Amino acid sequence: MSYVDAGYAVGLSVLFLYAIGLVLRRRSLERRVDLAPPADPGQRATEAPPGES
Amino acid sequence: MSDAPIVGRSRPVWVRVVGLAGLVTTALTVWLGLWVTPPDQKQGNLVRLVYLHPPIAWVALYLAFGLAALSSLLYLWRRTRSLFWDRLAAASVEVGVVFNALTLATGMLWGRPSWGVWWTWDARLTSTALLLVLFLGYLALRRVPADPEVRAKRCAVAGLIAFVDVPIVHFSVVWWQTLHQGATVLNADLSPTIHGSMAWTLLLGFVALTLVFVWMVAVRYRIEVLADRTGAEHLEISLAERWAEGGVAVPTAPAPSNGSVELRPPSPVGQ
Repeated sequence: MSYVDAGYAVGLSVLFLYAIGLVLRRRSLERRVDLAPPADPGQRATEAPPGES
Repeated sequence: MSDAPIVGRSRPVWVRVVGLAGLVTTALTVWLGLWVTPPDQKQGNLVRLVYLHPPIAWVALYLAFGLAALSSLLYLWRRTRSLFWDRLAAASVEVGVVFNALTLATGMLWGRPSWGVWWTWDARLTSTALLLVLFLGYLALRRVPADPEVRAKRCAVAGLIAFVDVPIVHFSVVWWQTLHQGATVLNADLSPTIHGSMAWTLLLGFVALTLVFVWMVAVRYRIEVLADRTGAEHLEISLAERWAEGGVAVPTAPAPSNGSVELRPPSPVGQ
């Protein structure tokens, strides 16, 4: 493997793995937020943007 | 500033579009950089690292840490003070640290065949390594338990102090004799020393990684909001349990939507 190949392999794979990690962290937190009982029934409705909840 | 577009189940369309555009342009850069552009007269095929290493450094130094410094400044300024800026700085720094580490890694892989060494205590390399350490310190500071406002203020100051190293990194090749070459595009004359298909591929590399950065910061920002919110809920539940154990009524006011927790003294049952 040349230094050029190694550079591209390291750079792209680290970025790819970090991106996957971000998506997994976001999904895990979204699931926790969805599972948590709302403190106030009206709270969720006011925080969700119109048309996207 | 409101957190409304980020909180809840929303995943804005523009984030997906930017992510997809980042993926496509990165793939195009790799294809052009590895298979289409010609080898350099002096460096041969090693020049192909120019389509990866400078765009990564551009994102780390100027975009990520620049955005973090600007956000920190806007948080510290009373008129614009909002946890939005604190979260944006946090998101930007984490992404920037990844890119900064990659700047060093890809630079070492370029330096070994060019200079004969993996590492040298050159001004550019040393100041870039110092930048990584400074912003790792910023991330460590964020993990120190504190009130959200206190943590935000602390981190904003730390972010601004760490950012002082960015101009030092940029001008290190001008101020000191270094092994590292001078600026290819952002030089003093603003006349790029790269032309033709090599210049276009380099430009595409900058655009591609900028798009990837924007996508990563958007996702990381959302994580920050969700983490604050789940942290606040967890704290509320714990406090309610403690207050119930002590026989006091639980306050019913909802947590503020900015993710911070407002603690109110509990009122004893029966009063």
